[in-house]
Amino acid sequence: MKFHKPTLLLAEIRESLSMALSAIAAHKLRSALTLLGVLIGVFSIIVVMTAMRVLKNFVESNLSQLGGQTFAIQRWPQVQFGNDNDWEKYWRRKPISLANGRAVEEKATLAASVGIEGDFWQGTVQTRFQKKPNVKILGETPGSFPAHEWLIEDGRALTDGDVDSARNVCIIGSSLAKTVFPLGTPVGESLKLNGINYVVIGVIAPKGSSLAGDQDNFAVIPVTTALNRYGRWWEDLTILVQARDAASYDDCVEQVRGIMRTARKVAPDQPDDFELYSNDSLIEQFNKFTRSVRIGVTIVSSIALLAAGIGIMNIMLVSVTERTREIGIRRAVGAKKRNVMAQFIMEAIVLCEIGGVIGVGFGIVGGNLLALFMKVPPAIPFDWIVLGLLICSVVGIVFGTYPAWKAANLDPIDSLRYE
Amino acid sequence: MKFIGEFHEGFHISWDAVRAHKMRSTLATLGIVIGIVTVTLMAAAIEGLNNAFMQSISSLGSDVFYVQQYTWFNATESDYLRQQRRRRPLQMREAEALVGQLTLAQAVAPLAYDQDPVRYKTRKADNVLIIGTTDGYLQTSGANISEGRFITPFDAEGGLPICVIGSDVASNLFQGDMALGAQLKIEDQSFQVVGVLEKQGSMLGWSLDNRIIVPLRAFLKNIWSRPPLDINVKAKPGVDLGEAREEIRQTMRHIRHLPPNQPDDFAINQQEQLIEMFHRTTAGIALVGIFITSLSLFVGGIGIMNIMFVSVAERTREIGVRKAIGAKRRAILLQFLIEAACICLIGGAIGLAIAWSLTFAVKHLFPIEMSWPVVVLSILVSLMTGLVSGFLPAWRAARMNPVDALRNE
Repeated sequence: MKFHKPTLLLAEIRESLSMALSAIAAHKLRSALTLLGVLIGVFSIIVVMTAMRVLKNFVESNLSQLGGQTFAIQRWPQVQFGNDNDWEKYWRRKPISLANGRAVEEKATLAASVGIEGDFWQGTVQTRFQKKPNVKILGETPGSFPAHEWLIEDGRALTDGDVDSARNVCIIGSSLAKTVFPLGTPVGESLKLNGINYVVIGVIAPKGSSLAGDQDNFAVIPVTTALNRYGRWWEDLTILVQARDAASYDDCVEQVRGIMRTARKVAPDQPDDFELYSNDSLIEQFNKFTRSVRIGVTIVSSIALLAAGIGIMNIMLVSVTERTREIGIRRAVGAKKRNVMAQFIMEAIVLCEIGGVIGVGFGIVGGNLLALFMKVPPAIPFDWIVLGLLICSVVGIVFGTYPAWKAANLDPIDSLRYE
Repeated sequence: MKFIGEFHEGFHISWDAVRAHKMRSTLATLGIVIGIVTVTLMAAAIEGLNNAFMQSISSLGSDVFYVQQYTWFNATESDYLRQQRRRRPLQMREAEALVGQLTLAQAVAPLAYDQDPVRYKTRKADNVLIIGTTDGYLQTSGANISEGRFITPFDAEGGLPICVIGSDVASNLFQGDMALGAQLKIEDQSFQVVGVLEKQGSMLGWSLDNRIIVPLRAFLKNIWSRPPLDINVKAKPGVDLGEAREEIRQTMRHIRHLPPNQPDDFAINQQEQLIEMFHRTTAGIALVGIFITSLSLFVGGIGIMNIMFVSVAERTREIGVRKAIGAKRRAILLQFLIEAACICLIGGAIGLAIAWSLTFAVKHLFPIEMSWPVVVLSILVSLMTGLVSGFLPAWRAARMNPVDALRNE
């Protein structure tokens, strides 16, 4: 057994690569069909994975309207996937009251801001210009603005004074502002919300619309004003808490939990009678829900790759038979079994990789058509691209080995005599 | 006659060719087998899901109308909100008027629902659905009595404190005791059991057997005095359903004194709506599933095409000889098409066998069903795959110039 220097190995690889390329170029149709199989297999994996990524982006941008390091406290869980057997449990909970919110506001020392929010369904906005139905009405406190990442475009935000004295003021989303006040600034104008007069004190900068609908079509009034008017029907509030920074986030959650448990008089051995959620927990829930779907789809789409691998094996076997004489000559002038084997495996890998690269390209384009349709930024799953190309090589090696082994074990004398 | 002869000959030649290259044919077949297995399994799964759904809503009955306050599905959120605000619940007075006025109805049953704990001796059952209704319910719900009797018109009229119980209630609450004649307590009022319903299974995950049926008047007197009602109407057999629906609609509008320019302030729901909704949501999923699985069949087809091209190239001389002694283009075309179709059909048959045994393996985990249409379809699909992928190579063989082909080395 002779020891090979690295340079020799490199030369060998280069030689088998050039032989593979010329063999592929010699049979254009055959090679094209073979790599088409791999292309489709890789395409189906990549297109599904890209689509999943796009969907995930979509959910992340839509499911949550919370800013960073923010969590919310509600009576009901935000989303429930699957059956709702616990419905009765949530239903029996006490509503989250304004007093609970005040307690958190007062005692949460680790929080940067605390907002109290009530969602008061929908109403009709009437101004001297225009009437608009189905506008979302939110009751808020000043602390809700950083938690929602609302920026004031015009005018001012709510102040503690507005909330404490339950003033008839409102702040409107930018698309609503453009609809009902087509001319000039809305600040200082008055509008009627479900027939009651409010003075517009500010406009919130747009967040844009998505498939879920216009995100800027809402009116914000002080939570106290809202409770005075709608509270009897709808007194279940949400508390929004923003932590100072990522480091103190967990401590902040714990502190707020403690405050809430105290405020709601939950006995030590009882579970929380409220739900805590943040963007991360929502996304986690979504991922858990889609995990089985993703696994199933991956398996189904890799089956195509299996079929493609069998096609490669078949065509490589043909190619070995056709080139029996060539193999015989190579062996006769001193090529080792190993060299012949490397030649054919290299041919299989090159075929697969060409197909794989094209397949990845088409897959990314195909998956991002969904992104175009859903109006979310395109996603490129780099990990799956690498994995896909790796799988291609594996397919080439697995299905190229038997034909290559067959070629390498041909008897040189017989194969030279082969007609 | 001549065509049949050609077909026969083509079949023999291609069968020999398949047998001459065993390894090659096996691998090509394997590609098709994989494709057919995945496509067939997917089709069987879709079929199974469909059937499971249909079965689970079959208790609704296709000729029963559900007159309710709200429609089951709203197209948009604003429709939903409008309904929530404007609509009044159906009332006893309206139900009684409807019962008297409908001519195309076989049975009309007003229903009131409540969920209350039920007691028998020391045992208690929560989450039992209490339904207050009349004698018409037996027909509109399609339920059958297994022991005792159902509520009679006299019971319904008099509001007697009796009840008919579902089979789950009978087994859970009575646990082997004689149910007939026993006294149940609902909201601390005694009801005598006069009948037990046959087992009905479940609908969309709701058990249909965990319920207690009492006369509507007894329900109003003892359980809930002004409940929102549903009215179930079963059309007479042979009556046009559209006509029956229209009659209910007009009668309801009349009862509620709706002016002609007002939209309906009630909804008439039918089983069809559920089916439509189900198809709408599953059509997309089914399409994607079939698309992804058919990709692997497509890849298998490409493998066939590739190997057929090789086979044509190898047998150029043979084609030349056949053409030289008088074979028509058609005969050559047929020869190679049959070869491709044979490989695919064998692959399809093996694939079906594998898929069939797999459905048996997963049957109790997942509603999957292998039906004759699916079997026929997958055989046809495999045949089509063979013909489509074999056509180009066969065409190339058929169009060869015999002189060139004979000279080919």
